[in-house]
Amino acid sequence: MASIAAACRLSARAASQQLRSHGSRRAFHKGQASLAAQNFNMPALSPTMTEGNIAKWKIKEGESFVAGDVLLEIETDKAQMDVEAQDDGVLAKILIGDGSKAVQVGARIAVTAEPGDDVSSLELPAEDSKPSKPEASKEEARSASAPAPKKDASAPAPKSGSLGTSKASVGKAQKQTYPLYPSVQHLLKENGLPNEEADKIPASGPNGRLLKGDVLAYLGKISESAGSEVAARLKSLSHLDLSNIKVMAQSPKAAPEKAAAAPEPEVIEEVDVEIALPISLKAVTEVQQRVQKSIGVFLPLSTFIARAAELANEDLPRSQVAKPSADDLFNAVLGLDKAAAKYSRGNFIPEVTALPPTTLSPRAPAKKPDVLDFLAGKKAAAPKAAVGGAAQVVGPLNVFSVSVPKGDERRGRVFLERVKSVLEAEPGRLVV
Amino acid sequence: MFRAVASRAVPRAARPVTQSTFCAPNIYFQGRLRRGYASEAEEKDLVIIGGGVAGYVAAIKAGQSGLKVACIEKRGALGGTCLNVGCIPSKSLLNNSHLYHQILHDTKNRGIEVGDVKLNLAAMMKAKDTSVSGLTKGIEFLFKKNNVEYIKGTGAFKDEHTVAVNLIEGGGETTVRGKNILIATGSEATPFPGLTIDEKKVITSTGAIALQEVPKKMTVIGGGIIGLEMASVWSRLGSEVTVVEYLGQIGGPGMDKDVAKQAQKLLQKQGMKFKLNTKVVSGDADGEGVKVTVEAAKGGKEETLDADVCLVAIGRRPYTNGLGLENIGLEVDERGRLIIDQEYRTKIPHIRAIGDVTFGPMLAHKAEEESVAVIEYITKGYGHVNYGAIPSVMYTHPEVAWVGQNEQELTAANVKYNVGQFPFSANSRAKTNLDTEGFVKMISDAETDRILGIHIIGPNAGEMIAEGVLALEYGASSEDVARTSHAHPTLSEAFKEAAMATYDKAVHY
Repeated sequence: MASIAAACRLSARAASQQLRSHGSRRAFHKGQASLAAQNFNMPALSPTMTEGNIAKWKIKEGESFVAGDVLLEIETDKAQMDVEAQDDGVLAKILIGDGSKAVQVGARIAVTAEPGDDVSSLELPAEDSKPSKPEASKEEARSASAPAPKKDASAPAPKSGSLGTSKASVGKAQKQTYPLYPSVQHLLKENGLPNEEADKIPASGPNGRLLKGDVLAYLGKISESAGSEVAARLKSLSHLDLSNIKVMAQSPKAAPEKAAAAPEPEVIEEVDVEIALPISLKAVTEVQQRVQKSIGVFLPLSTFIARAAELANEDLPRSQVAKPSADDLFNAVLGLDKAAAKYSRGNFIPEVTALPPTTLSPRAPAKKPDVLDFLAGKKAAAPKAAVGGAAQVVGPLNVFSVSVPKGDERRGRVFLERVKSVLEAEPGRLVV
Repeated sequence: MFRAVASRAVPRAARPVTQSTFCAPNIYFQGRLRRGYASEAEEKDLVIIGGGVAGYVAAIKAGQSGLKVACIEKRGALGGTCLNVGCIPSKSLLNNSHLYHQILHDTKNRGIEVGDVKLNLAAMMKAKDTSVSGLTKGIEFLFKKNNVEYIKGTGAFKDEHTVAVNLIEGGGETTVRGKNILIATGSEATPFPGLTIDEKKVITSTGAIALQEVPKKMTVIGGGIIGLEMASVWSRLGSEVTVVEYLGQIGGPGMDKDVAKQAQKLLQKQGMKFKLNTKVVSGDADGEGVKVTVEAAKGGKEETLDADVCLVAIGRRPYTNGLGLENIGLEVDERGRLIIDQEYRTKIPHIRAIGDVTFGPMLAHKAEEESVAVIEYITKGYGHVNYGAIPSVMYTHPEVAWVGQNEQELTAANVKYNVGQFPFSANSRAKTNLDTEGFVKMISDAETDRILGIHIIGPNAGEMIAEGVLALEYGASSEDVARTSHAHPTLSEAFKEAAMATYDKAVHY
């Protein structure tokens, strides 16, 4: 197993990672140590390693280390290896010092703390467990699977040789507080094991229940990982499969459909306010002519207006029309209120009309709706189609207007003022 | 970005708007008055949209947990599809039509001679309606008991915390605000393209439980559970039923292949006709009856099926029409399911969705599990639904029920397993009942003997599967079930014997 070699190197990481991953699992552990101080156990550096010698600690008590630092050197009968730190931390206390011989895999050899913790005032956590052979081999198997259950109980070696190379994580042994399953009871009796033995068998059942397969594995009758493999498979089936979700595409058709879905009576409320602002296009025409002279390209006015509108639509004050429900709903359908921030992008398209020289009012006249029509529930006549361009632009002074929902006049006005400033002050910006 | 916004702006430009400011406020005000806005009520802890199984159970559970809760339902009766037009009325018809069928064909063998047997369909429908109305009223009572505010109307999102409700009684509109909002709007039958549902000639399950007379001929598109149950009802009452199924087996992909085969055999014996591996090309409901053109799924000769009534039972799709999801930017997946995480949260964390409107099997009891879990997530931060142990039941005769994985799924997943099977023909109670068709099939892991799936076809399978669900939930092995005492003489002994056959040997077979 090639990955075992990698696992060896990772085993020290596992030890600290295992401690890190407690956060989510804390609730299930009795006597859980505080997150700050963590036990650092003797790692297994090969699948068959059961004990080793600590050659030398490379980090002193109280010193901090970062991920990747070599913490200590371990010797086995075969080799000498470095143990690297997985996470940043502080070595709070060394419990088994340099030159210690035959340290069991899984035995606590040091206590680590989070970076920046005050080591002197740190309360040392209780030792996790007695070291043991089967646990050790599982230990490194866990290093491959991320949220490894913390080992905190010991299990004596199974009667017939444990398959030390098993890859799947095996549940931990725990006290069986419920009546044992009939099959479990039967197997224990049949094999001359006392009932208390059940508490020592790693359990793969729901909520740590001991299953028939666990006992069979403990007895060495089936592969050690069989139970946990089934458990893992069933666990994945026990969740909703939310992988590979494909969000429904917002088809262009969807918009009118949704608009149609809006409740009917709301039509009456679609009373929009028109905001108008006279804007001089003198500067724009100048730029237009300059461009044509210099590079020979004629840019229509509509291009200027469209670009100015695009600029002006940026970061408009957020729509204020949260209260009138119908408009709110409708605008939302149209994507007018998508932003959560103070500002949101507008989608105004200014309507441009030449200003009749005789009228002083900035508002387009002769569009007064008939009140009777409204009382009769008749829809107002459709407005002149908004022109994104300049079909009707004749004179230098034009009225730009937009329809905004009632209450949102400010938004519309800000938009128009921006269009005005861009078109009147710096139209050159639009063609660069 | 700009382009997208601009394209959506087009309909806006076409909207009728008045172009004057000075008289707008008046009109606006009038509109508001006319629509009778209610003053905004206090904010609820939880607002539930939908009073179906998911919604009403969640409402009751929330009420029991001390939350201030409102439940919005537009049908005018609680219980949703299940109670009003689904599980409950269909079971009434299934049970009574079975009785009728039995009296007609079976009681003689049992020494009961019945004279003139007549079907009074109107009375049978009335019995169904009585069951339904009793149950829906029951939920209303439970709402009162658990302090759930029941709002009859159509809810639509106004913003992330506000739901506008178009009331069905009195026609006004009101709004409810909620700290949490639960979407439980359920599903609707998927229509077949080209066939317009009128619920008279072209029907869904809703129409199938309310036919005025027994159709002479009936075509059922879709051989899943709903299709087969409805086909059973009308076949028993005298209709000539043909079921068209695209897949190679009936019962849908979840049903074990052995069970599906057996079920098909037994239903054929009752008079139903099946066309498997067959696709429906087109349908025509213009003439007297309904013509459905079918051909072999892999291509082949076309054939036209004539019928008086055509039942479309090709599945159901989530129902979110008019809910205003676009107002709050909630997304659905390609099949229309609301996108959620494992804790049922949409991307707006205080808005959650459960039941048919989102992922998972569209089953009432799945929705019910989720509603308890979602309330626990809201109140306690942890809930539990084991999606690996949700049973499915088909209430034909004999019934079909299963939980866990079937043989074809396990083979596909390359899992080694043991199978134990026990026929009801070897079960004493089934023998005395003269109802011996079917078997219990148990599948367990080859090494650990942990039960992976249980599949039953036979009398009372739907009740018996509960034991299988429990076994699965507790991670039992087949030996555990086999070593548990089952009363004699009962049908459940077949369950025990199947367990024995799985890890060892059955005694009576």
